[in-house]
Amino acid sequence: MSDNFVSLQKLSLAYGQTLVVPHLDLDIRKGELIALLGPSGCGKTTTMRAIAGLMAPQSGHILIDAQDVTRIPANKRGIGLVFQSYALFPHLSAFENVAFGLRLKKLTNSDITKRVDRWLETVGLAHLAKRKPDDMSGGQQQRLALARSLVLEPKVLLLDEPLSNLDARLRLDMRLELQRVQLETGITMVFVTHDQAEALALANRIVLMKDGKIEQLGAPDELYNAPQTRFAADFLGFQNIFEVEDQTIVGKGNALPLSFQTKARYLAWRPGAVTLEKGKYEGKIKSVSFAGEQREFVIEAPIGQIKATTPAANLPRQIGEIIRFDLPSEGVCELRE
Amino acid sequence: MNIKFASRLIISLTLTFLIGPFLIIILAGLSAGDFMTFPPDGMSLKWYIKVFTVESFRESFWLSMLLAVFGTICALILGIPAAYAISRYDLPYSETIKTIVAAPIIVPGIIVGLALLRYLVVPLNFTVTLALFMAHTALVLPYAVRVVSSSLNNLRGDMEEAAVLLGCGRVGAFMRIVLPNIRSGVLAAFILGFVTSFNQVPVSLFLSGPGVRTLPIDMLGYMEITYDPSVAALSALLAFLSVAIVFVAEKFLGFSRYV
Ligand SMILES: Nc1ncnc2c1ncn2[C@@H]1O[C@H](COP(=O)(O)OP(=O)(O)O)[C@@H](O)[C@H]1O
Ligand SMILES: [Mg+2]
Repeated sequence: MSDNFVSLQKLSLAYGQTLVVPHLDLDIRKGELIALLGPSGCGKTTTMRAIAGLMAPQSGHILIDAQDVTRIPANKRGIGLVFQSYALFPHLSAFENVAFGLRLKKLTNSDITKRVDRWLETVGLAHLAKRKPDDMSGGQQQRLALARSLVLEPKVLLLDEPLSNLDARLRLDMRLELQRVQLETGITMVFVTHDQAEALALANRIVLMKDGKIEQLGAPDELYNAPQTRFAADFLGFQNIFEVEDQTIVGKGNALPLSFQTKARYLAWRPGAVTLEKGKYEGKIKSVSFAGEQREFVIEAPIGQIKATTPAANLPRQIGEIIRFDLPSEGVCELRE
Repeated sequence: MNIKFASRLIISLTLTFLIGPFLIIILAGLSAGDFMTFPPDGMSLKWYIKVFTVESFRESFWLSMLLAVFGTICALILGIPAAYAISRYDLPYSETIKTIVAAPIIVPGIIVGLALLRYLVVPLNFTVTLALFMAHTALVLPYAVRVVSSSLNNLRGDMEEAAVLLGCGRVGAFMRIVLPNIRSGVLAAFILGFVTSFNQVPVSLFLSGPGVRTLPIDMLGYMEITYDPSVAALSALLAFLSVAIVFVAEKFLGFSRYV
């Protein structure tokens, strides 16, 4: 058996006449934590709903564990989904929320109690078993939703923007929590996010999506260090992205000759890759800001704005001064459209 | 100062006009005289007691009660799925459906009653009781759909999907998740429907036959012949009954917390 646990084949998804995902091929391995990353509206939730069976594809197939589930209804697929809004049942206590799926399976009461208690324990909600979801904090609701899905031991757990409704501190806690649960259960997880930092931190692999298509797929460091396209670079935080024509960088109607050879359509540098105080280009400092360990510069150059950083101790330069800089071949990313 | 005075005046007047007639009815029923007068002609409970001895009141009370209870239940059985379909699915003619459902309250009751008599009872030999039952169900239906719809609109659709992913069928998700969460709306619809049906006059006016009369129609008929204070006593008792029903419902089912 191949290690493709979930397989999306030529999947196309539409709402009525609106084609959202035109043609998607994706293989997800058993036990991996994979992220669907992309801007809002690119079709991440739609893809996830299709995997779960809440939406029928227009064409294509979905395979889970070597079985074609395309025509199998959502309640028979054995897939867990944690909704972005959590979708907890407000009329039931935390305990009963988690017990919901088990009761449908007609397990004995003592068996249900044992399993629910164990999961409430695991997500740290044992002391709130009697509480209703509306009386819980965002983080607690999130963990309850997680327990409610995991108690059924689904083959795949889908999480739609699991961290987006939490504040920054909780987000970090929940990241660790998700990683821990994934490690302990070995469950295959697919999570959706529009936050590149979240995807980079959590996922084994990242699927970068744009307009319902896969823009790039790879391990976090691959995406971070070697984005393939202009969109990928932009989305992954490269701030200096320029078009190249005939060995010159063009922008704002101006051109700067490049100091190295390239065949790429676009070039991109992270702020840290830009050299300051030496080099053959010149620009005017538009802003300087101190950000802890480093100092961030915005330089107004003929081809547009350049963002650069240096260690904080260096370069006590003022706004308005002219500064030399270079866009070197080290640290450059070559991109296509 | 003047504003304070004015607002007090308005509140007092409002209360007077809302509660005043009610008090007058209670007192008129307590009269010791033989005619309905206000202020009452002496004090006695005899008219309150007499109400329970009038055979036709007893019969029509039970008819009204059964109509109100079963008509409303029937309207809810029809109305809840209708409201669910309207709020959850993109139906092509949902506006038209809403209008048709609301028709029985828009069309004057007299016309509804006459139409039922003319086209169901007379030509098709429907019994008056059946026609009454249908009329009351139809009358309550718009309230059921409206009130339940508004509860449903406050309920997020993804909870049902969550239930389905936990192993429920669509029907199971409706019974286990939707119904318990719109309970307060259903209860409010039931009370509203019950009161509407119980106090209904115009539709029932045409739909009465030998031995088949709703309580309000019976009271109307009684008053045409005898103008004694027992009708006032009965009205007061009915008002107390309504208050009691709302109170009990609120106490045990706690709907005011949600509505
Ligand atoms: N129920 C719907 N009906 C019609 N269009 C929809 C519906 N849900 C989402 N869309 C459209 O599909 C596209 C993808 O949506 P979605 O999958 O929710 O994006 P994401 O989760 O990546 O933000 C968006 O353009 C959105 O407007
Ligand atoms: Mg989404």
